[in-house]
Amino acid sequence: MGRLALAVGAVAAILYPIPLQLQGTTYYQTVGFLVLINAMLGLGWNVIGGWAGQFDFGPQVFFGVGAYTAALLFVRLGLDAWLGLPAAVAVAVVVCALLTYPLTRLRGHYFAIATVAIWMIAQPIGATWEFIGGSQGLFIPVKPRASVAASALSLQFSGPTKALGYYYSALALFALTLALMALVERSKLGYYFRAIRDDQEAAEGIGIDSRLYKVLARSITAAVFAAAGVLYAFWALSVFPEQVLELNWSTLPIMATVVGGIGRLWGPVLGAVILIPIAQIMSTTLGTGPLAGRGIDLIVYGLIIVLIAAFRPTGLLSLPWGRWFRRRRPATPAPAP
Amino acid sequence: MTELAQAIVNGLQMGFLYALVAVGLTIIWGLMEMINFAHGEFLMLGMFGAWGLSAGLGLDPLLAIVPLGLAMFGFGVLVYRALMRRVQGGDPFTQIFATIGLLFLLQNAVVAGFTSDYRFVGDSLLARLSGAKLRLLGITFGVPLLAAAGLALLLFLALYLLIERTEFGLALQATSEDRDAARLVGIRPQRMFAIAWGLGAALVAIAGAILVNFFAVYPQVGLQFTVLAYAIVALGGFGSILGTLLAALVVGVIQSVTVVYLPPAFKDAFVFASYLLIGLFRPQGLFGRF
Repeated sequence: MGRLALAVGAVAAILYPIPLQLQGTTYYQTVGFLVLINAMLGLGWNVIGGWAGQFDFGPQVFFGVGAYTAALLFVRLGLDAWLGLPAAVAVAVVVCALLTYPLTRLRGHYFAIATVAIWMIAQPIGATWEFIGGSQGLFIPVKPRASVAASALSLQFSGPTKALGYYYSALALFALTLALMALVERSKLGYYFRAIRDDQEAAEGIGIDSRLYKVLARSITAAVFAAAGVLYAFWALSVFPEQVLELNWSTLPIMATVVGGIGRLWGPVLGAVILIPIAQIMSTTLGTGPLAGRGIDLIVYGLIIVLIAAFRPTGLLSLPWGRWFRRRRPATPAPAP
Repeated sequence: MTELAQAIVNGLQMGFLYALVAVGLTIIWGLMEMINFAHGEFLMLGMFGAWGLSAGLGLDPLLAIVPLGLAMFGFGVLVYRALMRRVQGGDPFTQIFATIGLLFLLQNAVVAGFTSDYRFVGDSLLARLSGAKLRLLGITFGVPLLAAAGLALLLFLALYLLIERTEFGLALQATSEDRDAARLVGIRPQRMFAIAWGLGAALVAIAGAILVNFFAVYPQVGLQFTVLAYAIVALGGFGSILGTLLAALVVGVIQSVTVVYLPPAFKDAFVFASYLLIGLFRPQGLFGRF
C-alpha cells in the first residue's frame, strides 16, 4: 500500500470519532472500537493462518487467557491494565507454546480439530474454576480517575468520553500490532512461515525446523489475541467464560481475513472495515422490527464468505484494482488497411 | 459398580446415534477428502424438518426419515453442484471457508424463519414409550433410547453393506482412491462426489429426525454435533465405516462415564482430551490403517 494511502488512512482513523463526539453521540465510536479490535485479531490470526498456513480455530482461548490474566491482576493485586497487558501476553505466549508444541505433529484438518478440541476443553475449565470466578467470572470495578490522562494510563474510561477513550486505545494497540506484523512479514521469520505453508518438506529440507516455527507463529497469534482480550475486558468491565471464550472471537477475524485477503498484511484490516459495521448497521436499521435479532447480519456474512470462497478465495485485495483504476487509454480503432 | 455399568450401557446406546450422525462425514471427509463444517447444520435442518412435519402434519419423526432423507439427499447434491464443485480443486482452506459460510447462512436463515427458541416434538411414538423400561442384570434400558439405537444400527449396517458390498460402493471407494483411474474404467467422479454429498446430508438429516426425540430443536444445535462428528471420524480412522461405529461407541461411553464422576460441563471435554491424546500417539486413529 502506498505511503499516501497509509497517511490518508491514519488521518481518517484519528479524525473519525471527533465530529461524532462533538455531536454528542457515542454509538459510532463503539462501532469503530469493534472494527479495530477485530482488525487487530485478524492481523494476529493471519500469522498462523495466512502465513504459516495452519488452520487455527481456537485462538479465542488466548483472548480469554489474556482477559482473565489482566482482570485477575487488577482485581487481586490492583495492577493497572497497561502493566497487566505485558503479563497477560507473556502468560498467553507460554500457555500457547506449551499447548501447541505437541499439536504441531498434526497437519491440516487434524491440526484444525485439535485447536477446536483445546477450546472445547477450555470452556468447562473456565466455567468451573473457582479461582477465576467460575461461570460468574470476574467483575472489573471502575476506579475514579482524577483526569483524562490518568484514565488513559490505567485504561479505565467512564462517562461521555468512555467510547472515545477506548476507541483511541484500540487504535493505538491496532497500530502497534500492524507495525509489528509489517516487520514480521518482511523478516526472515515471515519468510520461514510462508516457506512452511508453501511446502513443508522443502522448508525442512533447507533446515527450517517446521515444528518450532509453527509454535512461534501461533505464539505471535496468541500474543495479539491476549492483548486484544485485555483491552476488551477493561471495556466490558467483566470477564466470564461465555463472553471471552465465544466462538465469534475467532470466526469474525478469520472471516475478515479471508474477505480482505488471507496472507496479505492489509487483508484483515480491509475485511474488518467491511464486515464489522454490517452487523451494527443491520441492528440499527432493523431496530425493533420483526426481523431484529434474527441473525440477518450473519446471513449476509455467510453469503459474503461463500461467494468469496467460490469466486475469489484469495480475497478482495487480490482483485486487479490497479488495472481497474488506471486511466483508460482511449480506444483507437484499428487503422484501415 | 452398577452405576458405572449403567453409564456404559447408556453411552453405548447414544454411541449408535452418534455413529449415524458421524458416518455422513466419514463419507464426505474420509472417503472424498472434502471438508464440511456445515455438517451439523444439515443435522439441524433434519431436526427442524422432523419437528415441522410432526407439528404441521402429525407425521411421526420415525416416519419422517423417509421424506427427509430424500429431500436432504437432493439438498446435498445441490450443495455439491452449486458450491463445493467450484472449491474442490483449490486450496483446502477454500473448502473450509465455503462450508463455514454455508454454516452461517443455513443457521441464520433458520433463525430468521423460526427464531432461536427451543422447540420440542410433543407427540411421537418414542415419547409415548418414555415411561417404558426393560431391566436386565440390574441395568435399566429406557425403551425409547433402545429403539432409537436399534434403528440407528440398522441404518448403519445398511450403509455399510451399500459401501462395502455393492458395485456402487466400490465405485465410490475407487473414486476416493484414484480419481483418474476411476475415470478410466468408466466411473464419473463428479457424479460420485455429488452422490457422496447427497448420502452424507441424507444420513445426518435422518440422524437428526431420530435425535428430535431426545434433544431440543434450535438453530444453533448443529455445532456441538459437528465438532463431535469430527472427533469421531478422526478417532475412527479416515474413511473406515466400521471404525466410525466403534469410535462413536467409545465417544458415547466417555461422555456418559464422565458425567457420572464430573460436572456435566466436562462431558465433551474428555472426548476432546482423548482425541488429542490419541491424535498425538496414533495419528491414523484408533481403527485406521495407514
